[in-house]
Amino acid sequence: MHRLPTLLSGIFLVFLTSWLGLVAYPSLQLGRLTPVADADNGGSLPPTYGGQAIAGQRIYATEGCISCHSQQVRQTSITTSDVDRGWGVRPSVARDYLRDSTAFLGSRRLGQDLSNVGVRRPDAKWHFIHLYHPSAVCEGSLMPCFSDLFLVRKIQGQKSDDALNLTGEDAPKDGYEVIPTADAKNLVAYLLSLRHDYPLPEAPVKKNGAAK
Amino acid sequence: MNHDHHNNQHENGSEETSRPLSPWLVGAFMLALCWGGFYLAFNSGGFRQDVYESNAVNWAGGGVAAAAPVDPKVVGKRLYNQNCVVCHQASGMGVAGQFPPLVGSEYVLAEGNMGDNHLVMLVLNGLQGHFMVKGQAYNNAMVPWKQLSDEQIADILTYIRSDWGNNAPPITPDFVAQIRKETASATDSYTQEQLMAMPAMKPAASQGSAPAKK
Amino acid sequence: MSDHTLPHHQHESGYPPVDSKAIDASVRLPVIILFGNAIHWLVVAALLSLVVSIKLIAPGFLGGISFLNYGRLAPMARDLMLYGWASQAALGAGVWLMARLCGQPLGGGDGQGIGGMLLRTLIISATVLWNLAVLLGTLAIFAGYSTGVEWLEYPGWASAMLLLSFLLIGIWAVLLFDRRSTGRAEVAQWYLVAAFCWFPWVYGTANLLLVWKPIQASAQGPIQSWYCGSLLALWLLPVALASAYALLPRLLGNHLNRRHLATLGFWMLLLLGGWNGMDRLIGGPVPAWMTSAGVVAGVLFLIPLFMISINLLGMVRKRAIVAGSISCRFLLMGLYALITVGVIGAIASLPDVSGAVRFTAFTEAKTQLWILGAISLPLFGLLYESLPQLLGRDCWSPVLSGRHYILTLVGLGMLVTLMLLGGLFTGLALADPTVSFLNITSYSYPFHVMECVAQLLLLIAALILGANITIALAGDYLLNKKTGK
Repeated sequence: MHRLPTLLSGIFLVFLTSWLGLVAYPSLQLGRLTPVADADNGGSLPPTYGGQAIAGQRIYATEGCISCHSQQVRQTSITTSDVDRGWGVRPSVARDYLRDSTAFLGSRRLGQDLSNVGVRRPDAKWHFIHLYHPSAVCEGSLMPCFSDLFLVRKIQGQKSDDALNLTGEDAPKDGYEVIPTADAKNLVAYLLSLRHDYPLPEAPVKKNGAAK
Repeated sequence: MNHDHHNNQHENGSEETSRPLSPWLVGAFMLALCWGGFYLAFNSGGFRQDVYESNAVNWAGGGVAAAAPVDPKVVGKRLYNQNCVVCHQASGMGVAGQFPPLVGSEYVLAEGNMGDNHLVMLVLNGLQGHFMVKGQAYNNAMVPWKQLSDEQIADILTYIRSDWGNNAPPITPDFVAQIRKETASATDSYTQEQLMAMPAMKPAASQGSAPAKK
Repeated sequence: MSDHTLPHHQHESGYPPVDSKAIDASVRLPVIILFGNAIHWLVVAALLSLVVSIKLIAPGFLGGISFLNYGRLAPMARDLMLYGWASQAALGAGVWLMARLCGQPLGGGDGQGIGGMLLRTLIISATVLWNLAVLLGTLAIFAGYSTGVEWLEYPGWASAMLLLSFLLIGIWAVLLFDRRSTGRAEVAQWYLVAAFCWFPWVYGTANLLLVWKPIQASAQGPIQSWYCGSLLALWLLPVALASAYALLPRLLGNHLNRRHLATLGFWMLLLLGGWNGMDRLIGGPVPAWMTSAGVVAGVLFLIPLFMISINLLGMVRKRAIVAGSISCRFLLMGLYALITVGVIGAIASLPDVSGAVRFTAFTEAKTQLWILGAISLPLFGLLYESLPQLLGRDCWSPVLSGRHYILTLVGLGMLVTLMLLGGLFTGLALADPTVSFLNITSYSYPFHVMECVAQLLLLIAALILGANITIALAGDYLLNKKTGK
């Protein structure tokens, strides 16, 4: 313990245990998972993301959604509350994150879990209004307004199809409309594609007979 | 600062080493380690990557692995796409006049005079010559698929019996193995006549349940 | 050097019998740059933490401006705490302690001549690089270039700068150990060598696999957890413990009388420290063995923390000395915080408890107690002890130091207690699916309000420390002016 080489070797070996156990071995175990075939429609599971959803992941990362939202339904051996709350039909497993560039597992739930938000809230229009002003659709929500993901512009000719259907004090002035930017559209496309509701070999969907 | 404490250093050293560890501490320490080892051993699911329920499995295996087997239809579909799709098509409809359809086929569903054993036999050993499927005549040859394992053949057959609106009971690997053993002497592909000469083993007999479609 | 007497230095000191003046001179500038910048980042981080906690009671506060959203400010505050304050202070503390304990000026030899000057320039550049990386990384999150990986939000180029800067400083600290003139190694030195070896490994591996060349996302969860646990337990905590092991015997005028225990504690901490982050995986999307390993690691981690704490606290004999030394009080409070962290961590790792309180403020309380308590408090203690020696005079204002101590403890205690209670309530409510999520949010409102008060106290404490060190350093400047330098 008094000579550098001895101390260094000891330190190296001890550190190696956690590195092997938590970095190397899991990387081998989970880093080589592959998609499985989807018996229902000939695709593969987990489903691939569309181009907009892939771009939306970046917005999810840079806006720091992970500060408040987790993306994991916990194992029912630890708690059943996630499934009971309707946040998912089955616990999430590592294979569910194959299509992500970053696994946004999260560590805090100031907001709801988002692993199945695409199933729970399949309506893009709802998401746009919710992002623009969360309290308008969720009274008492802690979520900040992401109004800078939207443009307020003068209606030219006809009102745009994308324009948000806002009421009350959120409604823009007469002759103006609120439309989502490309970032907002990408983010919502990503949110809509978030789902862990399909069966995987290691995570069968039990209750839902339709998804056999 | 304080140049006068040279001695201190040496005293430090000798005194530091003099107190042995308390036996209570060592005991508690070992107990805790024991607990950790046991807990991990009984809740690790054998360190497998596909076991997620920590309380469902122990080192003996089984448990979740048996409760959540690989779906034969998923594997079967992949094998079908690799081996069968060229002739029978992804739709299972075959090609009119050349390759017979699997959808609604009496061979696949073991309807009429056909049995489960006929389906397995013709896949294992192939089929040739003139034959009828769904009232249509075909004159072609299907190569034997002996090189596939019992499990693979069972998976493929289970898959083609459950997709495209087909609805017949699964074929088990054991059943394929049994047929393979019985027909081990066959050297040539069957003709329809040879096939029909053998008594049909109905799904009802082999599976213990009536076919869903009649 | 012996012409000044620190208030608490009437007792015997066990620093190695070497020319500490030359040693201090060799590390003075880089260490002061590191400490000074660390404290100014601490102030910024405390301010951001306050803004972040206000946003939880008034979501519209500073709202509608993308770069002031909660999702950007919260990681900025956390990263500034980790890299701007804690890691930087730990670097400064590590370099000073290593040079002192090894009885060698930084860079070996007498630290004079061209070689010594070049080396000092290199190290000072490295400290500047570190701060530049922290600044640019923070601005990048601000401007919307965050990676979205928890605790590694800085873009890849900023983390590469941090790593480079660390290597330029850390390698000399490790080499000092090899060249030491003091014979037998002290416990504090083991911890320092370990910490300096590990930061590059931990930070490099995590950045490589999560930021620079991300591994398939299915395998990222364990690596993220490993990083969060290792950064705290294998880099920051060892430096904090080295401060305690080095300073407490000298401040208390006592000997470390259980070296066996110290040895066992050291190796146990190293062995389990890397696994300690696994509690973040309990119940997560990882195979069962990782969840179980998380439970075991979280519970067993209490052992080394307990061993080390009783080892160090066993030295306290005379309360009067403790009361008379601000440094000593901070170090001891840090140890109490460490035991508390261990206990909270062990309880929160039990499967049933974890199922209820994970993702609530409960786990956040543990993280806060780690960073602001177990790590920051000993670093404060070292800061109060080292700066007078580096400057060669008694530089702290006792009034400000006392206020800083009180406010830090009250603020931290309040913050952690509130978060633990709030987390517990939220956890119990979450277990009942008939209680809607928005309802639960409204339950936690009073806790969030009180957390703002706690964060405000911590900000004031940080400001007081900032004022204290500013006065201390400005005094030095004025003194130099008077003597005509």
